[in-house]
Order: sequence, then C-alpha cells, then structure tokens
Amino acid sequence: MKNIKYIVAGCILITIVSCKKWLDVNTDPDNPNSTSVLVQNRLPWIQHFYTYTAGVTNFRTSCQAGVLYSITGSANALSTTWTASSGNVTPYQTFFVEVSANINDMYKSAEAKGAYYYMAAADVFSALGFMQMLDLYGEMPYSQTTAISGISLPSPKYDDGKTIYYGCMAKLDEAISLFNKTQDPGAPSFASGDMWNNGDVSKWIKFCYGLKARYMLKLSKKADLFNADSVLYCISQGPQSNADNVFQRGYNNSTVTDYLLGDPVVTNGNWDYAGYGSNQRISQYYYNLLTNMRDSKVTDPRMSKIVPASMTDIKLDASGKVVSYSWNRSVGVDSYGASERLVAGGPASIKAVSYTASDKNITYTITDGTAKAKFIADQQLAGRAFTVDGDNVTVTYKAGSIYVNDNNYLYAGDTSYVNMRTFSIATGGEDPLDVDWYPSADAMKAGAVGSTGSYQIRPVSDQEILTYHEMCFIKAEVYMRKGDLANAYTAYRQGIQAHLDMMQAKLTEWQAEGYTKTNPDMAPMNQSDINAYLSSDAVCQDAGSLTMSDIMLQKYVAMGVSLENYNDMRRFDFSAGDIGSFGTVYPGYDRGPLFAGEALYTGGTPKDPRYWQRRWQLPTTLELNYNSANALAVNAHATEPNVWSMPVWWDCATDDQYYGYLK
Amino acid sequence: MTTILNKSSIKITMRKLVTALLVLLFLQLSHTASAQERTISGTVVSPDATPVAGASVIIKGATIGTHADVNGNFTIKASPSDVLIVSSVGYTAKEVKVGNSSALSITLEPAKSELQEVVVTALGIKKERKALGYAVSDLSAGELMKNKNTNVVNSLAGKVPGVNITQFSGAAGAGASITIRGGNSTSDGRQNQPLFVIDGIIYDNSTSVTGNTGTDGLSRSNTTYSNRIMDINPEDIATLSVLKGAAAAALYGSRAADGVVIITTKQGKEGKATVNVNSKISTSWANKLPEAQTVFGPGSYATNGVLNTLIYDSWGPKIPADSTLYDNIGRFFQNGIIYDNNVSLSGGTKTGSFYLSGSNFNQTGIIPGTDYNKTTFRFNGEQKYGRLTLNANVAYSVANTDRTLTTSGLYGGGGNGAMGAVYSWPQTFNMKHYINPDGTQYRKFAGTVALEDDINNPYWIINEDDLTSKTNRFTGGVNGNFAVTDWWDITGKIGYDQYTTNDYTYIAPGSAVSPMYQSGRLSKDLLAYTYITTTVMTNFHKTFGDFDTHLMLGSTTENTTTEGQNHWGYNFVTAGTVSFNNIAPENKFFTDGTTRKRLVGAYGEFGISYKDLIYLTATGRNDWSSTLPTSNRSYFYPSLSGSFVFTQLLHNNNFLSFGKIRGSWAQVGKDANPYATLTYVNSPITIASYTGIGNQYISGNPFLKPEIQKSWEIGGEFKFLDGRLGLDYTYYHSQTQNQIAQPRLSNASGYILVSINSGSVINKGMEIALTGRPIAKRDFSWDATLNFSYNVGRLGQFIPGVAYFYPTDAQFGTVKAASIPNGGYFLGMTGVKYLREVDKNGNEIPNGRYQVDAKTGLYKLNTNNPIVGNREPDFIAGFSNTLRYKNLSLSFLLDIRKGGDVYNGTEYSLVINGLSKRTLENNRQSVTVTGVDSQTGEDFTQTYEADKSYVINGTTYSGKNMIQRYWSNYASNSLNFITSVNWLKLRSVSLTYDFSNLLKNQKIIKGLSATVTGTNLATWTNYKGMDPEVSAAGGTGGSGSTGIDYLGVPATASGAFGINLTF
Repeated sequence: MKNIKYIVAGCILITIVSCKKWLDVNTDPDNPNSTSVLVQNRLPWIQHFYTYTAGVTNFRTSCQAGVLYSITGSANALSTTWTASSGNVTPYQTFFVEVSANINDMYKSAEAKGAYYYMAAADVFSALGFMQMLDLYGEMPYSQTTAISGISLPSPKYDDGKTIYYGCMAKLDEAISLFNKTQDPGAPSFASGDMWNNGDVSKWIKFCYGLKARYMLKLSKKADLFNADSVLYCISQGPQSNADNVFQRGYNNSTVTDYLLGDPVVTNGNWDYAGYGSNQRISQYYYNLLTNMRDSKVTDPRMSKIVPASMTDIKLDASGKVVSYSWNRSVGVDSYGASERLVAGGPASIKAVSYTASDKNITYTITDGTAKAKFIADQQLAGRAFTVDGDNVTVTYKAGSIYVNDNNYLYAGDTSYVNMRTFSIATGGEDPLDVDWYPSADAMKAGAVGSTGSYQIRPVSDQEILTYHEMCFIKAEVYMRKGDLANAYTAYRQGIQAHLDMMQAKLTEWQAEGYTKTNPDMAPMNQSDINAYLSSDAVCQDAGSLTMSDIMLQKYVAMGVSLENYNDMRRFDFSAGDIGSFGTVYPGYDRGPLFAGEALYTGGTPKDPRYWQRRWQLPTTLELNYNSANALAVNAHATEPNVWSMPVWWDCATDDQYYGYLK
Repeated sequence: MTTILNKSSIKITMRKLVTALLVLLFLQLSHTASAQERTISGTVVSPDATPVAGASVIIKGATIGTHADVNGNFTIKASPSDVLIVSSVGYTAKEVKVGNSSALSITLEPAKSELQEVVVTALGIKKERKALGYAVSDLSAGELMKNKNTNVVNSLAGKVPGVNITQFSGAAGAGASITIRGGNSTSDGRQNQPLFVIDGIIYDNSTSVTGNTGTDGLSRSNTTYSNRIMDINPEDIATLSVLKGAAAAALYGSRAADGVVIITTKQGKEGKATVNVNSKISTSWANKLPEAQTVFGPGSYATNGVLNTLIYDSWGPKIPADSTLYDNIGRFFQNGIIYDNNVSLSGGTKTGSFYLSGSNFNQTGIIPGTDYNKTTFRFNGEQKYGRLTLNANVAYSVANTDRTLTTSGLYGGGGNGAMGAVYSWPQTFNMKHYINPDGTQYRKFAGTVALEDDINNPYWIINEDDLTSKTNRFTGGVNGNFAVTDWWDITGKIGYDQYTTNDYTYIAPGSAVSPMYQSGRLSKDLLAYTYITTTVMTNFHKTFGDFDTHLMLGSTTENTTTEGQNHWGYNFVTAGTVSFNNIAPENKFFTDGTTRKRLVGAYGEFGISYKDLIYLTATGRNDWSSTLPTSNRSYFYPSLSGSFVFTQLLHNNNFLSFGKIRGSWAQVGKDANPYATLTYVNSPITIASYTGIGNQYISGNPFLKPEIQKSWEIGGEFKFLDGRLGLDYTYYHSQTQNQIAQPRLSNASGYILVSINSGSVINKGMEIALTGRPIAKRDFSWDATLNFSYNVGRLGQFIPGVAYFYPTDAQFGTVKAASIPNGGYFLGMTGVKYLREVDKNGNEIPNGRYQVDAKTGLYKLNTNNPIVGNREPDFIAGFSNTLRYKNLSLSFLLDIRKGGDVYNGTEYSLVINGLSKRTLENNRQSVTVTGVDSQTGEDFTQTYEADKSYVINGTTYSGKNMIQRYWSNYASNSLNFITSVNWLKLRSVSLTYDFSNLLKNQKIIKGLSATVTGTNLATWTNYKGMDPEVSAAGGTGGSGSTGIDYLGVPATASGAFGINLTF
C-alpha cells in the first residue's frame, strides 16, 4: 500500500514537472528578443535610426527656417502658410519607437559586459534624441521613459524643458567619463559596432564636448545661465578640424527598406524626407543668400552644388536618346516676399514636371489680355511653336521636353522651380552611380535629367551630425557676444573655409566614385571660384565691420538642411532685431502674403514672441489622444492651437517667463 | 471522388437532375391503388389510460387519414405494410406498423417537451433543458437547412436571440463574423468570436490574413477572406447549440469567454442503410448597387477656374447629349451560379452505426473570374463492445477561392482594388476597354500620368492579376466511453484539427503600382495550423431518495501550433514566366513565423436536484496556459447556476403548463496571445559592414495576468396552452476586467503597441424568444418563432488620457472603428465633423449653427477624432415561420434590426469623385454655406455660383472650384454619411413539396422532396447605400468593422432550386 502511494506521488510529481516544461513554449523560436541582442548590433541600429529621425526633423525645420519650400500639405504649412502641420508626428515616433526603445537595452547589456564605450554611446544618443525632442516639442515624457528609467510605463508622465535640458547635459557628462575608462577584457570592441567614428574614442569625446557647446549656446537668451567662457572651453575640447566631423555616411547599394515607415535603410536620412519625393524646392530666401550675400551680387561657389538643375532645350536622336541639352538651374520659390506666383495659384500650387517622348500640344485659355501677351512672349523666348486662336494659345512641346502637363497657363513656367528629388536604387534608380531624378521611365531611357539634387540631401550624402564648421561659427558668435571682434572674425572665416573644404572633399570623392558621369553638380567646385568668393564682398573682409548677421547667415548657408538653423533663428527672434545690439540677424525672413496661421501665432507684431513659429504641438495621434492627462498636467495649453507659438524653455529669458506660458 | 473541376461538376449535376426527374416521372405513372387493404380499428390513449380525443391518424407517405373520436377510437383502411402516424397536440407523435392485427392499442407519451427536452451543453454533456440555470439555444438540422448557406454562421442570422452575424461581403468565398452578447476585447489582435466545438473538438474559425501585411501587401480590407468554419459541410450537422453566457461555457475555459457554438454531426441509425442525395442549383445577383450621376463628365476645375480633363474625377462640364454613356457599375457584375451537391450514406446495427458523406459546393461570384469551390468528405462511426463505446469521426475538406483585390491596392505597393475603381470610373469612359493590342494596359491618360500615379482598370485587375487561396483541412477525433457501472463512466478523447492555407498573390507587370513592382510582383504564403487535444473525463451519477446528484471530473490538454511561411519578390526578369525562379536573388524575400500555445485544464462539475423541482450546479476549472508569465499562468474560475421549476408545485392547468426560473453566476479567464510576455526584435538591417538590430514596435509585458470575465444572468422559461405558446426570457450582465489589451499608447514608452492589463468591458442585454403554433390541424399547421434581443456594450475605466482604441484595419473614408474608454461605446466610431457655434465658455452648442472658417469660406472641421456614431443596434429580431399544407410547406424568415449607425463610405467616395447624385444639387450651379463666422461668431451666409469668382483670404477662387471645394468639405463631415439604420429583411423564403406519398408502393426510394428557395429577396430599410449589412474589413479583432460600408463587393440575393432524394 505504501509503495502504491509513492508510485502515485511520483507520477503526480513527474506529471507536474513535465507539465511545467510542456508549457514553456512562450518564446518565439523565429525571432530573437530584446534580451539576447548583441550591443554591437544595437549601436548601428540606433545610429541609423537616429539619423533617420534627425533627417525628418532637419527637413521640416528647414521648411520653417526658410531653407526649403514644400508643396506637401504638412510641410507647406511650415514653409508658407504657417498653419498647423499634421507632419508633427514623424520625428516623435521615429525617435521614441526606433531609437529610444533601444537605448536602455543597449546600456544594460553593455553594462553586463563592461563595455563602457557602448554605455557611453547610449548616453550620447539619449542626449541627442531628447534634446531634439525638446527643441521641437518643449515638454514630453523624459524621466519616466524606458530609455531613462529602464522601466516601461504605458502612460509616462511629462517633464518640463528645463528638466530635460539638464538631463541631456548630465548624460553627456556621464558619457565623457565612460569614454575615459578602458573597457573590461572580453567586452565587444567598439569599432565592431560604431558606424560613425569607427570606434575612435577620442573622436567621441570631442563629439560630446561639441554637443555640449551646441547645447550651452541654446541658453544665449538667459542672462543668468549663459556662460560664454564655458562654451569656448567646450569648443576647445571639441572637434578641431574637418577630420573630427561626425557624420553618417549614406549609401546607394541596397533596396532593403525599414520596418516602420518603409524607407531604404542605407540612404541618407535627410534624403529620405527632403529628397525622396518631388515636393521640395529651394526657397528664394536661401537662394538669395547663395547668389547675393551681403548684397554683393556674387554667386557662391556652393550655389550650383546646393541649388538643383534640370535639363532643358533637349534634342533627341533617332533612338530617342538625349543628344544635346542645356542646364536649367532652379530659381527659388518666393514664399516670404511678393510671392506673385504663389498668390496667383495658391500656397502649394507649384507643379511637378512631366516628360514627353513625342511632340505634345497643350491649349491654354487666357482671357486676360496682359497675361496672354506675356505668356506668348515667354513662348517666343523659349523658342516654342505656338498658335493663337482667340483666348486659346496652343503650345507645342517638342519631343524630349520637360514641361508642366497642365492646361492652366499660370503653371506653365513652373519648370523654373526644379524639385530637389534624386533617385536611389530602392526608389526608381537603376544605376547605383546615377542618383539623378528622371521624370518618367521614358525620360530615364532617354537620359533626360529632371533634377540633379542638392548637396546635403542626396541618398549618398553624408548626414552631418556635428561638424568642425559649426564649432567655428559657434565660436564666432560667442566672441561676437563677448565683443571680441578679432577672434570672432577669425572663427567666421575658419567656419566658411571649413565648410568649403568639407564640401570640396566630398565632391572630389563623388567624382572619383563616378557619380559625375551623369551629374555635373556632384563634381568639385572650381578653386578659382572659391578664391574669388572668399575675397569678394559676399564675405566680410575685415573684423571691424563684421556683424552678427554676417556670422549667422554664413552659418545658415553652411548648416543648410539642419535643425540648428531653426534653433539659431529662435535664439535671435528671427528678424525681430531685438536681441542685444545685433540688429536684424535674418533680414527678409517674415510671414508671407499667404500666411494663414493667425490661430497658431497669436502675437501681433514681430517683437511679440508669439508672432513666430516657436515649437511644434505634440502629435495628436501619438500623445494627445493617448496621454493627454499627463500632457496637460505639465502644460495646460498643450492642446491649444497657439501652443505652436509658445517658446520652449531655452527660448525664454527666464524660468518665470517659461512657467508663465505653461500655467 | 477527387476534387471536381468546374466543368465536370456541372455535367454531373445536370445528369443527376435529369435522372431524378425521370425517376419522378416513372413513379407518377406507376402509382396505382395498392392491394390487400382492409379496415383496421384502434384506440389512442395516454399512459394513464385516458383516451386521447381527436388524435390524428394518417398513413405514412399518403394523404389518407382520420381522427380518433372522443373515446380515442378510430377506424382506417390500410394494408399490413403501412405505417400509421398517430399524433396529437401535447403528445409525441408515434409510428405504428399495421401488420396483421386488426385492432390496435396505441399509447401516446405526453410531449412534455420542456420536461424531457435534452440539450447539448459544455463538453458535449447532454442535459435536460429544465435543469439548466442559463440560456442555451439549439437549432436542428432542419432549421439550419431552411436557408442553407455554405457558411453555417450565415444560417444562424435571425434565428438565435443575442447572436449577431455580419457577412463580410457578397464576394464568392467571403466569410462572416459572429458575436454573442457583444464583444469582450477591444484590441486589434483579440477576437470576440465564439469558440466552435464540433463533436467535442475545438474547431478553428479564424479569418487569417496570411503572411506579413508589411511585406505581402494584403490587409483585411483589400481582398476576400473566408472564416474557417466554412470548411464544414452544413449538411453534416445534426444539431447546433449556442452557449451564450459565461456560466454555460465556463467548463471550456480560457477560450469560452465569448460564448460557444457546439455542433454535433450526423450519426447513422439502426436499420437499413440509407442514401441521401441532394442537389441544388442557385443563382445570385448583387442585390443593390451604388448609383452614379450621369449628368457631369470627367474633369476638375482649378482654383482659377481652368478645367483639367486629365483626371478620372467627374467634376467636369455637362455630358453632351449625344455622348455614349457606359453603365460601368451595372455591367461589371454578373449573375453568380452555385452548384451544390451532397451525398450521404448512413446505417447501423444494434451495436454500431456509420455515416459517410461527400459534398461539392461550386460557386462563381458576381465579379467575373472569382469563385469558391469546396469539396468535403466525412465519416462518423460508432461501435459498442459491451460497456465500451467507441466513436470515431474524420472530415476532410478542400476549399479554393479565386479572388480579386477589392477595396484597395497592396499595402506599401500602391495601386488600387477593383471595387474602388469600378465605383469611380467616369460614365463616359468605356471601362471594358482595358487592354491594348500589344497586351499592355490601356490607359486613358497614358503619357500624361505616370503609371504609378494612374488607376488600374478593374478589368485589368480581374483578368491579369491572380489571387487565390487554397485550404486543405483534416479534422478527426476518437472518443471512448467505458461504463464502469450504471452510475459511473469514464470517457477519453483525442482530437485533431489541421489545415494548411496556401495563398497566392500575383500582380501583373504593367499594373499601376509603385515603380518597384511595375515589372510584376509575386507572393506565396503558407499557413499551417495544427491543434491536438486530449481529454479524460469521468462521470458519477447517483440518486438518493428525492435527490439526484452527479459529479464530473476531468482534465484536458491543448496544443496549438501555427506555422507560417511567406515568400515574395518582384521584377520578373523574362516576361511571361511567373515564378520566383525568374526573379533576381536580391529581389526575393522570405520569412518564417511560428506560434505555439499550450494549455492544461482540470475541471469538475457537481450537480444536485430535488424532485424535478430544484436544480443546482457548480463548476470549477483551473487552467495553466503557456501564454502567460510562469508566475501567473495558473488561474481558477468557478460558476454556479440553478433553476426552479415552479410549475411542479402548481396544479396541472391548461394555461401555464410549464414554468421555470433560472439564474447563474460565473467567472471565466482568458489568457494572452502567444509571445506577449517578451519584446522581440526586427529583422537585421545591413549598412556597409555593420549589422543593426532593434526592438519591434510592440512591447511585451512580463507581468501579464489573465483577463477575467464575471457575468450573471437571470431568466425564465414558460409554456402556455399545452405548449402551443412558449416564452424564454434572459437578462444578462457581464464585465471583463484586467483586460489584456494591446492598445496604442503614448509613443514615449518606446512602443506603438504595448501589452497591458487594464480596463473593463461591460455588456448587458436582454433576450426573448417566443414560440408558437397558432395552427395545428391535420392538413394545415403554422409554426412561428419570434426572437428579440439587444445588447449594450460599453468600455469601463481605462488608463487616464487614452481617448480611444481602434483596430488598425478598420479605418475608411473619414471614420475609424473605435472603442471609447470610460463609459463610451464598445462599437463606437470616430470621425470628422463640422464644428458648431460655441457658447460663452467655448463649448459647442448641440444643434447650434455650423462654424464657417472665413479663411476657406467653408465649414470648419473638428479633426480631433470626435465620436460620430455607435454601430451597435438598439435591438435585433428574427421572425421565422413555417406553414404546412399537406405535403407543401412554406418557410420564411424575417430579419429585423432597429438602430445602429452605418457609415456609407462608398457614398463618401462617390462624392469625392464627383459621381454621387448628391453633388447634382442645384445642377452644380451654386452651393450655399451658412452658419457663423468661426472667428467673430457673427452670421455668415455665402452662396458660391459657378460663373462668378470669389476672393477668400487673398486668393481668388473660381465659383466652379468653390463648388468642388464645398463638396470636398461636405465629404469630410462623417455625419453626412452616417445613418442610424433600421431594416426589415426577407432573409429567406422556401417552398418545399414532399413527394413521399407518390412513392408509397415501391421500396427503392424512401423520400423525395423539391425545394425552391430565395435568399435576401427584399430589404426594406432607411439606408440609402448598398446593403447595410456590411463589414469593410472582415475578421478584424476588437470592435471590428461592422457598420462600415466602404467600396465593398455588393451583398447578394439568390434564388435556388433543389431536390432531396433518400433511398
């Protein structure tokens, strides 16, 4: 009897144990999970997706800063009408979901292996990402996010801008101290996971100091917190030459696309947003700085590298291939000035171009006599055949023409606004060494280039994260603020030179790789043009006459498609001219005639902080619909439209001013 | 028999029909009066020997009959081989063989249907209905077959109170969804459909979108999906029980929170083998199509009034009188044909029985080129060896669907679906012209519109693309029961359910899709589902004096595995060869997926009753699920139910012959989906020499707890007038707590979707079933059932700040299916609406005037996802009737619904395209905007006339452009397309003639009947669009997509003729 009891008990035990094992099938055999991924695989992921989130941020803030004009509804709202943009979602989602979710996992697994450099890198990305979020949104969850606390909460609480700012600075300090350690034996080598600096720790330390300088500069409105000497100290520890530049290299060698938004994973993040589609044009504001800096009428040698061109006057051979053509260099879209073209057609009315492989007639009906005469004159000038029948003008576009396929005469001239699109092999390109955009398959067959693209936003461009030229311009600004014109002038000239050198090096590399076979704008600049420019009136020639505007506009040209231009403009209150005695730093930048953002920008005059685009509203579909209680707890006005004109913490002179807004 | 191809199947059907008709003719001719007739007398009595006055006595298979007199005596002329059918109201009919006796004494048992009626309950346990403390609805094979549908779910519509059925679309092979007493889970990936159990084995009824929506391009709305219960042959069903509440289903454990549908298939009967053949041919047609305007032609006016004609929109000038108009919508659809053939063979001895069946259902859809073809086989057998009874059943089915892209194109691949284009094609373009002589797509605007920006011609999609889905399914079970004594038995069971679905999606080169896919795209998906279950159960049954007790103990294991493979690629190198072999390696991709779920359950039930008066039952079950964290994987839930048959205490009376009240309380648990406890990573990406890996956007949760549903119900059953009238009433309340949800939350958590336990879903409602037999004469009878039910589904507390839950696949036009936390609708809908004027505090005034935005000159929109509707009906009802006159019977089913919002997204799309008749207002010469200025609050009225121009906020707009803008503004307001829908549907009507009396004198054919059936022949509704029974994205979890009508394949009506032959 006793034996039977043991046997029964034994059977039960075996059953329970085997049952427990039998139930242990809740781990997906096909997919690794977050606990098993190697740090040297996490870091490239974080680096790629950080540049991707920075790409969309750079693009959209460039629309706000007047660098780019866009016809998409959301970006047009930032570049032209200043109405609420539904595009305020992407940087938020791409940072939090693609980057931030990995930061703590990388930090923890690096810590377990004594891989201090990876821990340090996790801190750097925390600072880069959250500072970008602060720049855009002002307040958001920080201390309760998984990246910072290590605990995943479904509805994290919000922190104010000041907390986030100091949090980011502390992360950089921790990163510097971790980079100064030596990794434990057995820790994975930093080079095996670091795409940016190939594991060069000294470069990372300079990068951290450079970021600190950039972030300290943000405090320039704060009399009590801004410390010029601290900024200069950080600059002295930061990048010392172009060799110290930190960038993500862009490639055109893969068609693999990402899991969330479906963009190619190897291409430049700026290109993914600004150069991927046909919607962007150079703005007249930026164009003018490249052609008429300091009212000099001097064309910048960088102009043809930045402003795109398309082919025009194309002649085809019998097989339909392009045999002759000339380049049609784009002009800028005037969204802040008289805006004649946009006023006539609407804020987002600039048309995309088409290509025709055979002769194509379009009949335009023009009832206004003056407009008709001007239109006819334009056709004559362009050498096109046309017939006139009453109000109808029929124009023949010869085979091979790149033209606007629309029978509204107002748009016929839109070929002069060349879009900034380029191809990658993942998006329509066929040859990895040809990134030109062609308007159609026929155009590609013929070799009729629709756009040559722009220096910073091609798929194969380097995405600048932190550069020596930015350091020079920061230095120039800080010396200017200290009243040290001589040092400011030196740094100003160094900045221009550094940027030209950086561009020239990349252009030379592109030429060597073979991109210039199809794209002359990717070839190096003429050294004589550079020399002429540097000694022209476009560049200040003596320290005594140097202005803050000279420094900031050269920085603007050099930074181009970058969030930092929008940050700088906020620090100088755009063109209000009310910062110190620096006068108007960004002359000509203002609301245009198509401005329609009264509900968002409630300030009545430029001197009113709330006259300008000061931040982005939190994304409705990601935060306001799902975490509104926490959002409103920190900023009572988070859901109101005019939050768009509410300065973020660093954009306020005092904490009282800042918290006054949030109340 | 193997899978029958279309053509041969048609031949077979025709041959069978001809044969059947010939037999019929022959029998008619040979019918003569039979010999050996003599007069027989008899007495009909009840068990207590009282005469049954007026009992009807008829000869089986003949119209000859008589009645018993007041003393129960009758006489009739019959031959020895005849069988008499003796029946009377309130008694169970009895068949008596005449034989050689000349005086018969017949005892009829009282048909105390409520007292004796046995129903199948959880785990297949048969119980007397009177003992139940909860509502169970059951349907017989006859009831189901009255409006036979190859998808048995559709046959339930209108027949069971508390059950809501929505067919996904009218496409061949389209599935349907079923919910019982509302949904319990809000999240996308969580189903609210009941568990299906066939012959004791859980039968998967999912509606799977195979592969990976991201890479495969298919989502729930863009093609036709079947729900897998369609794999069963409805002719095989003997009975179907619906267990509605948690108490009824508690023994099924984790998967039963949404109710259970128990199906028992047919068994052979003792006696000679019987063959049953039935064949049906039916034709179906779109029961309603959207209407397009035929006044204005293609084009669109720009801001400055210049006409652009290079566009499919119909905002252009009036169509000249001499133009050819094409009814593109009407011509696109065809009549579908269905051939439905079934054969079964059954028989048995005293110790064994068998049932064998085969069927083929061959349907061509109303969209040319689409079809659904299903072939099934089943064998059920039973054998007794003394105290041991063994059952085995196996079923095999092959279901093939040829389908097409419907609503939209491929996700991430661009293009469009056929239906979206059909409903937007300008009336002056001949849509049938879709191909050029060289085989490329004919495109109206070729050369001016890039291929990727163009619209695929629907005929190109249905003729050139190829989308198929093939499912082979095998299910089987072996069941052994050993009766140890007369009060104790043991049952063991092994069940198996396995299917593989192969989906094939080919997008032809030259389609208007993303440039990457313009040289063709192919994907193949394999989904293999395997389910194995074992059960051991023991039952004790003992009577102690007036107390009757039973005890059941059991345990079960379930093992579910799903394996998926997805292969896809694009760009065929050599034109004409559609194969992965013809795609360069860098353009080919594949992924694998495996889900595993295991569960162990131990359960028990104890019941006690006193004198057929009071019944009490308690159950308990503990589950251990693999999907929960180890520390939380074990969970227990109890139930308690009771009934009180109060009529046992009353004197027998004719008015209330039976009365019972019942009540129950139960708790059931629900586990998580597999792999919800960990966070997984994405496929690696390669950049230069580096490989990057990062987390997916779904966060796992290592702290998940089981979801718990608590529910109670009370009800009663009453029979009046000797059972001529019956009433069944139920009120229920259920609350799901700790809901396992994967809501969209703040992205700041690092994830888009996070698995959490939070919030509750509350459902309450009422169910009433009224049955009656108003006429019960010998030659004429009328049976009627009226059922009525409503459900109110609400979401309880949820994490603060979460405004709504929505299923990703259910967003169409301007609306999203959404559940609203903190007391909001479970079946809500958010959208966009015009803002109304505000009061002093800035709050909108209900029914106030609209705000007009002076900057646009049009109505100002609230785009912050305001709630715009509740898709839950106020009530649903069904009224089913069977009238029999001699051998002719007529059945019809009326389906009634009151309330519940439907969004007419198809009309929205027509307005956007300028094809809607609504846009003909004022002959497109003017529109008027009236309301208050959104800035100043002052009155604002402005009429825009076609031939004038208007300066608004600095821009000059032509009047024609403003009229277009007005309609675009109009389309943005979801409320312009939402109707609270009422309907009365003639769901089915069928007329059957039983030829049995013609077959009397031969021994070969035992039964023959012919039936004419019509389905959905008439709908009376206030809904202006197509059929309001809609679900734009079938099979979506959470609150689903019912009530959203968006560019779907129209619902169908059908007419059928069928013959049923038994020999």
